[in-house]
Amino acid sequence: MRRVAILGAGMVPFGKYSGQTLSEIAWPAVKAAIEESNIPKKAIEAAYCGTALGGMMAGQRILKTLGITGLPIINIENACSSSSTAFREAWIAVAAGVYDVAVVIGVEKLTKFGGGTLPLEKEDFEVAHGLVMPALYAMRARRYMHEFGLTEDHLAKVSVKARNHGQHNPDAQLREPTTIEEVNRSRPVADPLKLFHCCPSGDGAAAVLICAADVASKYGGVPINVVGSEINSGKYMTGFRDMTSPEITVRGAAQLYEEAGIGPEDIDLAEVHDAFSIAELLYYEALGFCPRGEAGRLIDEGETSVGGRIPVNPSGGLLAKGHPIGATGVAQIVEIVRQLRGQCGDRQVEGAKVGLTHCTGGGVSGFDHGVCSIHLFSR
Amino acid sequence: MVDSVQELKQALNITGDAMVDKSDGSIRLVGSNCNSCGAWTFPPTSVCPKCMSESLESRELSEIGSLYSWSVVRIAPKNWKTPFIAGYVDFPEKVRVFAHMVDIDPERLSFDMKLRVCKAVVGQDADGAQIESYSFVPVVESN
Repeated sequence: MRRVAILGAGMVPFGKYSGQTLSEIAWPAVKAAIEESNIPKKAIEAAYCGTALGGMMAGQRILKTLGITGLPIINIENACSSSSTAFREAWIAVAAGVYDVAVVIGVEKLTKFGGGTLPLEKEDFEVAHGLVMPALYAMRARRYMHEFGLTEDHLAKVSVKARNHGQHNPDAQLREPTTIEEVNRSRPVADPLKLFHCCPSGDGAAAVLICAADVASKYGGVPINVVGSEINSGKYMTGFRDMTSPEITVRGAAQLYEEAGIGPEDIDLAEVHDAFSIAELLYYEALGFCPRGEAGRLIDEGETSVGGRIPVNPSGGLLAKGHPIGATGVAQIVEIVRQLRGQCGDRQVEGAKVGLTHCTGGGVSGFDHGVCSIHLFSR
Repeated sequence: MVDSVQELKQALNITGDAMVDKSDGSIRLVGSNCNSCGAWTFPPTSVCPKCMSESLESRELSEIGSLYSWSVVRIAPKNWKTPFIAGYVDFPEKVRVFAHMVDIDPERLSFDMKLRVCKAVVGQDADGAQIESYSFVPVVESN
């Protein structure tokens, strides 16, 4: 396999774009990524577009606006991991030598559903009985609080940290700081989770240009290396499972660290899938940033804030930056690229050399998550 | 999320019924028990996810399970009457079932408490017709 680098990254601020079509939302992100890469559009040999609910031929609808057509365009649905999966597929193709240059797009427009919880597949028998994503994470939270003594204040601190980071990110949907008291007072959604424990619903798009490392030099710029790529499906368990430890992330991280020869102690920052506050805490442990049961201590001691030992979600994460489902995977990568280039201003992780992205997806009964994709990057 | 009783039934009845009425008025959940490897699956299925055997027996689960975790759900698609209490209940057959809980003060729920399967109205379809399905109630200790 050849080494692969990212040469350009772009995104549009996450938010509400109810008056715009999916392609109108997305093309500025794609154009920004292409322009930053210095790669002429005619050199792009393939496109991979991740969207969960954007409808058929999203990639074609977006790329025609920029006149990038007549090339293979692959549309990928993998729930919240749609565009991290798209990135993974593009990476495989470039690393294998099939293409030298590819563009990866993540996009979603959730305002078309009019708000509320994410629409899930009705054929699923738990969904048919009223399971919604906040309820699933609420049950994880309650069980973890019971087993490890986590408190509502610990959950609130994750949301406070997310907003503290997000206020410095012009692409974040929620940019107002908040307090523990305000989080605890926010509207209950699914006990013990309150509104501020939940990522906002919205629209957005992100894109990156990737190319074979050996051709990157001819375009100039600062290449960011892809040093590890991993994807897994969850293990289907009709029986009991430990909802305080997401097995798919534990398993995926272990595989990736071994393949890349990089351990959690080598990582300078991470963008993880904090769809709900409890999720980020579970991932601290699953990704090896702390031992089992110590996630509460980590957030208490500020170790995961910018300036701490292992900053998590300097972008604001899903909780503050927002979570337009299919856009999230690539948007996480955009943040890591910008951090590793030192472009992040007041939320910059000083001296960042190695970054991780972690994106899960899917509320399917019997799985922790339907999918999880983890990537490692370095400069 | 559920548009009709038919849809709920389709979701539940991947093959056969997931719930059976008993002569004493109680109900039981029905799972698939694999004749080849012994694994249990809920809801019933036509192929064993562990060994792919198609030789499966529909068998009743125990009447009582224990509570793994729960939530008072206050936001859900509009056919659900919110708030409702829902949770995961673990059965001795080693299957975990998600369902609503009825006739309980959420403050009185506790980890591993015993719950009995029952039938209850859990929502309504787009036309306002009531959707009845399995649910859970606390086991009342008799002296």
